Amino acid sequence: MNIRVDKLIFNNRNFTLSVERLEFESGRLAAIVGPNGAGKTTLLKCLAAIHPLSRNTVFFGRQDLAGLRLAERARLISYVPQEHSPIFSYTVRDFVLTGRAAHLPLFSLPSARDEAAAQEALEFVGLEPFADRPYSQLSSGERRLVLIARALAQKSQVLFLDEPTTFLDPKHEWQVLEFVSKLAGQKGLTVLITLHNMDMAVKYSDSLVFLKEGKVIAAGRPDDILTESLLQDVYDLPMKIVACDGRKLIVR
Amino acid sequence: MKEIRRKRRTWLAVGLLVLPFALFFLSLNVGSYPIPLRDVGKSFLSLIVPSLRSEVPPAVRDIVLHIRLPRLLLALAAGSSLAVSGAALQALFKNPLVNEYILGLSSGSAFGAALSLVFLGRAFPPQAGAFIFGVAAVLAVLFIAGRLEASLVSLLLTGVIVSAFFSALLMLVEFLASPYALQSLFYWLMGNLALAGWRDLALSLPIMAVGLLLLFLLRWRLNVLSMSEEEARALGVDVRREKWLVILAATLITAAATSVAGIIGWLGLIVPHLVRMAVGADNRAVIPLSAALGASFLLAADAAARSLTSIEIPIGIFTSLIGIPVFLALLKKSKKVWL
Repeated sequence: MNIRVDKLIFNNRNFTLSVERLEFESGRLAAIVGPNGAGKTTLLKCLAAIHPLSRNTVFFGRQDLAGLRLAERARLISYVPQEHSPIFSYTVRDFVLTGRAAHLPLFSLPSARDEAAAQEALEFVGLEPFADRPYSQLSSGERRLVLIARALAQKSQVLFLDEPTTFLDPKHEWQVLEFVSKLAGQKGLTVLITLHNMDMAVKYSDSLVFLKEGKVIAAGRPDDILTESLLQDVYDLPMKIVACDGRKLIVR
Repeated sequence: MKEIRRKRRTWLAVGLLVLPFALFFLSLNVGSYPIPLRDVGKSFLSLIVPSLRSEVPPAVRDIVLHIRLPRLLLALAAGSSLAVSGAALQALFKNPLVNEYILGLSSGSAFGAALSLVFLGRAFPPQAGAFIFGVAAVLAVLFIAGRLEASLVSLLLTGVIVSAFFSALLMLVEFLASPYALQSLFYWLMGNLALAGWRDLALSLPIMAVGLLLLFLLRWRLNVLSMSEEEARALGVDVRREKWLVILAATLITAAATSVAGIIGWLGLIVPHLVRMAVGADNRAVIPLSAALGASFLLAADAAARSLTSIEIPIGIFTSLIGIPVFLALLKKSKKVWL
């Protein structure tokens, strides 16, 4: 599913996000990067229509996102929030099952088909053995995977992840990003993530969007746009790009 | 190990669901005038088979069908309603401390009942006053706190303040009341099933039945609604609409229960916790089992209140005196997290 942004403007008190034009290709992984407060999460929430959206600004394929009902949107987009700790301790299975809400009428229970979708999602992230454990007792890394599993159970075509790797150790960070890039590559999902780790963003993403103070500074394939002067502009900090084992590493 | 635990849970759930019905039939023969189960059965059968009428004394038949049956039905329905509305609101507001009484319903109801008992006399039933002002108090809290968009803290704070306001109004009415009206008001305030007759139940039972059915059907949806609002929206749920539906149903059943049975504290807070301790947080189980446990609790408390002492202790006092120690004991014993 192709995503096209056209003259998107979002105001929130003293912050304005304004995107002239932006496109995300189907089946690819795009990373939104930039300093704190640049509007990364806001952009993601606008694209997911979690923030109110005006008509003719965001298109999924040929559909205007603002014209869709909530359940229709949720069948199109899954949104993985930053880590959270719920009050009630659902089992991992019950937690993942809530991803099926958009597929179920108001007064109904999940059917065997929904249970199967949840099961499949849990197996995909490798957390099937944890299915009957309480979600609240999992580690940070495991919780991220459960959140991703819930998004998968939603069976949408687009996946948004808000900083899926903060607070994770290098191994879990790697694990989560491997999953996410597999979702774009193998399952053909269009994936958008916000990230702070530039090295990871360069390694895993097919395209990068640099945000600063609510504006897009640069967007495109990492190889095409990544320069030391761009990094300096965005982060106000001198950085060097170093080649190592065929990869680009960013050094401060 | 996991298999054994799951089996134990299933049996526990089945036991809990059967319990209120067993207590219901046992309670029919308990009281200041014990009636053997055989005569209870015959009294019921005589409704269908008129020839059995001669086999039970008319007084026994009257006690069973016109005094105990409505009273026990009320215990059943009110116990379920208080517990289920507590469970639903706790999920909806993502806070294990919430129940309808905290949102101002009890003080609103108390004021409504007092108003009609003291000033309106027999023409206007206190049940109607309690129902109307109970619902009004909750609506006032929701409206003042900012139409549901408000944070939980401001909602609870508003609940406390509105409760205080209605309590002041209640005291004003009490100050102006005659001793006779005061006595019946106190009796109502302490929670009482003894006054229930078929006439009182004609309206409140259907309201409770409809509201309970609604919340029962929404039980899985409550799992989704107990996520943060943003999350629930991203999962495709129209949170604003469904929130109103849950609050409306919960408020109606609690107001209906409170208007007929008086203020029965703590049930709506404690029962859902006991259920979550036993079977976990999944509302697909929590809602029906809260209904069963709440009903059982009220039936048992009522049976005890009727049979232990020669004067009937009001059931509101009884539920608090029994319920709170039981809850604290379980809280202390269970080391695991159940929320």
